[in-house]
Formats: sequence, structure tokens, C-alpha cells
Amino acid sequence: MISEILTKYLSNEATEQEIQTLFEWIDASEENKKEFIAAKKSCVMTSLSDLNSISETSVIQLKTRNKVFKYLKFAAVFLVLLGLGKLAFNYNQKAKYSKEIVLELADGRSEFITKNNQTKIVNNKGDLIARKFPNQITYFGKVHDQEVVYNTLKVPYGKKFKLQLSDGTVVSLNSGTTLKYPEQFGLNAKRNVYLTGEAFFEVAKDKTHPFIVHANHIQVEVLGTKFNVSAYPENPTVNSTLIEGSIKLAEAENKSNTVLIVPNQMATWQNNSKKIITKFVDTSIYSAWTKGDIAFKDTPFSTIAKIIERTYDVKIINGNSDLARQSFTGSIKISESSVENILELLKRDTPFNYAVKENTITITNIP
Amino acid sequence: MSNNNSFESNLFESFKKGDQAAFTHFYEKYFKRITAFCIQFIYDKDEAENLAQEALLYLWQNKQSLDSVNGIQSFLYTYAKSKCLNTIRHNKVKDRFKNDLLNIKERELNIEILNSISFDTLELTELERIIQESINDLPPKTREVFIKKRIENKKNAEIAEEMQVTLKAVEAHMTKALKILKTKLSDYLFLIFILICNN
Repeated sequence: MISEILTKYLSNEATEQEIQTLFEWIDASEENKKEFIAAKKSCVMTSLSDLNSISETSVIQLKTRNKVFKYLKFAAVFLVLLGLGKLAFNYNQKAKYSKEIVLELADGRSEFITKNNQTKIVNNKGDLIARKFPNQITYFGKVHDQEVVYNTLKVPYGKKFKLQLSDGTVVSLNSGTTLKYPEQFGLNAKRNVYLTGEAFFEVAKDKTHPFIVHANHIQVEVLGTKFNVSAYPENPTVNSTLIEGSIKLAEAENKSNTVLIVPNQMATWQNNSKKIITKFVDTSIYSAWTKGDIAFKDTPFSTIAKIIERTYDVKIINGNSDLARQSFTGSIKISESSVENILELLKRDTPFNYAVKENTITITNIP
Repeated sequence: MSNNNSFESNLFESFKKGDQAAFTHFYEKYFKRITAFCIQFIYDKDEAENLAQEALLYLWQNKQSLDSVNGIQSFLYTYAKSKCLNTIRHNKVKDRFKNDLLNIKERELNIEILNSISFDTLELTELERIIQESINDLPPKTREVFIKKRIENKKNAEIAEEMQVTLKAVEAHMTKALKILKTKLSDYLFLIFILICNN
């Protein structure tokens, strides 16, 4: 009876009632207590062994990872996954569903970025503030702090875009991303930008004007380096991954809740617990998208499905529970692979059926 | 085995010189183990991972103080142990039970257990070997259940579903695993106790 409860307790399955019984038994005699301690100790000591090498995780290799990521060694990469929290700025829900890239100017005008429209952007005073190329906008100039105004760029699913901010910082924006940034940075102000979605920043060095990315309830501060930010609204966490340099994360409403991370670390902010957790990771996985790749490492299918949805602008409905539980490792070249190619690869590991209708892919069990 | 040892000794030399790749090897080797150790005292996976992370960072910062590769494990577990003790003593372990007396009692027991564990380098290496062997010697199904429980932190019901066996069978395997390990390890833990007391 007691040994049964003891087992349950050690495997974390005992009810409070049973634990009460167990603890009363422990208190009953010194012998009992010794026996309990010996049992828990044996259990604890098994953590000394390499449980990993014995366990088998089901993972497939999609394709060997490309050496091309390695250049990123010199970039500080951090990735922010934005949670469901309220956005730091107001944005038009309708634009989210636009199929074109939309630029909103400070005076409220907005325009679609297409291949053919004008190549100069002027502010409401008629001053030239930026030049536009087919896949990039370059801003220049500085203004007095009180004159700082913000532009907002929205990139829909299935598209990518590049911005050069007025301080020289280059930002690559991934699919499904919104970035709000000063049209021209202030002379003495900090460099604040606001992100939902994912972006790779190559921040121009300027120690006197810290660069701060606001995402969800988190502020990520850097002094000048390169990093990647990913901040999607469906995730309840904010992840920041650093390749080189140093960044500081702080909770926006509680600045004492802060961590500094070193290269190859990822810091994760959790909306629910309001904690920032750090660990070492393979950073190339988190910046692969800037090279036109999708990379996974032990990544659950649900996350992969979301990445495919954003990259290819499709909708995936998964009704296969085996697949939902599966994790995958590998990388995919976006330009050389269709959604069907990816699904065929995944099918080899975990068999499933799928049907494509317009932009919706429905995955089902094999009958 | 000896190959592995010389491989690790070489890595240890690079690690002491500040080679990050060598550190990554040790990081990957120990991160999950230290987490698994801490989780049994603080019952929070994130918090346990944080402590493991901290232990490894501390190892990196204090790499000069280590003499041999065998010292790493002792260093990490000793640090994790003292961190767990601090966490419990400062009441930072979240309450698991409605009845606060149970929370208090559990913490007392955990402090006692932690205090009774010593991570002396030599014994640790030997102990690790014995534990590894004991786990390897478990009957295959029992081992699978034990590992799912310990590494993946799964509920019995999930394990039953994954392995397509009844809940009762999972419980039986868990009982068996703990019983075998307790027998094999408690003898050894007792032996360590004698060794320490005689020194």
C-alpha cells in the first residue's frame, strides 16, 4: 500500500490525499523516513546518467543544412516571437489581410509597394525622406527629437521585404510582419522600433543612441550589431537568439526583470509567467529564413505548419494526431520547394493523406 | 570507453583555453541531466532549466579552477545542489499542494535529501557507471516506461497511449523500475556514505 503510493509519489502521479498518507507514514518512524529518503535518492541519482543516449526520438533528416548560414556567425541574431498581447501601436486590421506590401506614412497616407510605383518618398512637408527600389526602401536624414514621426510597413503572408532605416540599420522583414519605425531618427533620442512578426536587423553602430526593439511586453536593447527578430501574434512567448555581440532583454513594465545574453543563447519571455528563461541553441536555425531557407531542429509539426502557412500564404488544417505529435529536423530551400514537396518529405516519416483546395491544405489519417 | 575518455580529455584542454565548441559539447552532455536533477526538487521545468543554464554558465566562467575532465560533473552537480537548497530555503519553490503543511514537509524532506548527497569526483564517476548499467539492465519495456517518465516528463496516461498498453501496465513497469533501481543503488549509496564517514 505504502510502496504503491511511494512509487506514485516518485513518478509524480500521487494525489494530495495519497501524499498526506505517505507523509504521515514517513513521520511514523525514523526507519520509514530512511526508507523514503533512500528511495527518492536513488530516483534523483538516475539524473547522473545519460538518459538521452538511451532514449530514441523520432526525427527525420530532410536535407543537410547549408553551409551558407555560417556567415551569420558575425551577426548577432535574435529572434522575438510576439505573443497575443496588445500591440504597442494601433494598426489597421484590414491591412493585415492585404496581399500587397503596405507602407503607412506618418500623416496617415498609405500606399502599396509594387514594382512600378514612384521611387521617391516625400513627407508631408514635401521633403525627400527615402528612395524606393523593387524590394527595398532606403531612408536617410535625421531630425530634431520632437519632430520624430513614425512610418509603418506591413508585409503579408507569402512576401518578404528589406528596409534601410535613416541611421543605416538594415532590416529584413519576413512574411506576415509589421514594423513601425521612425521615418527619420532623432538627433539625441534612443532608436525605438516596434515589431510584430519576424525581422533580421543589422544595426548600425552608435553607442550613444541605443537601438531598442519593442515586441509584446519585452524590450530588446542593443548598442550596434546584427540580429534577427521574430514576433508573431499567435505565439505566447518572445524568443531572442543572439549570434554575436550582446543584447539585453527587459520586461517593458518591470525593468528590473532583465537578462543579458551571450552569443549562441536564446532568451524566452513567457507571457503567462512573466519570466525570461535562457538557454544555448543552434542559432543558424533561427536565422535560416534570411537566406531563403526554412530550418528545424526537433521542431514540432504545429510550428512547422505555421511557418509553411506564412511562407507560402496557405492554410493548413491538420487532422492527423500522429503528425501533430511528431517533431522534425532538417532544412528546406524555399525557392526550390513547393508546399507539396515539403509534405511529401514529411509523409515519408509519418504517413498521412492530404488534399489541396485553393489555398487550403487538409491533412488526414491514412484510412 | 577509453577512447571516449581521451576524446573528452582533449576537449577539456580546449575548453580550458576558452574553446566554445568544446564547451558546447559539455553543455549538451549535461544540460538535460542537471535539469532532470533540479526538477525533482523544485518541480518546475523552466526554473530547473534556468538553474541548469546557470550552472553551466558558472562552469564556463570558472573553467580555470578545474583540474580534470572528471571534475566537471562534480562541479555542476555541487552547484545545482546548492542552488536547489537556496531555492527551497528562500521559499521560491511554488506550492504543489493545497494543504500547506504538505508543502512545508516536502521542502524539509528535500532539504534533508539534498544535504545527504555528496558529489565527490571519484565516487561520482563510478556511480554514474553503475546507474547507467542499472538502467540498461532494466527489462526493455520497463526501461522505455522509465525513460519516458524521466526524460520526457510524461503522464502515465500519455505513456500508456503511446505504448498501446493499459494504464495498469505502465504503473507496474514504473514500480518495477524504481524497485530494481532502489535495490541496486541504495546499496551503493550506503557504500558512499561509509566511504565519506571513514575519511
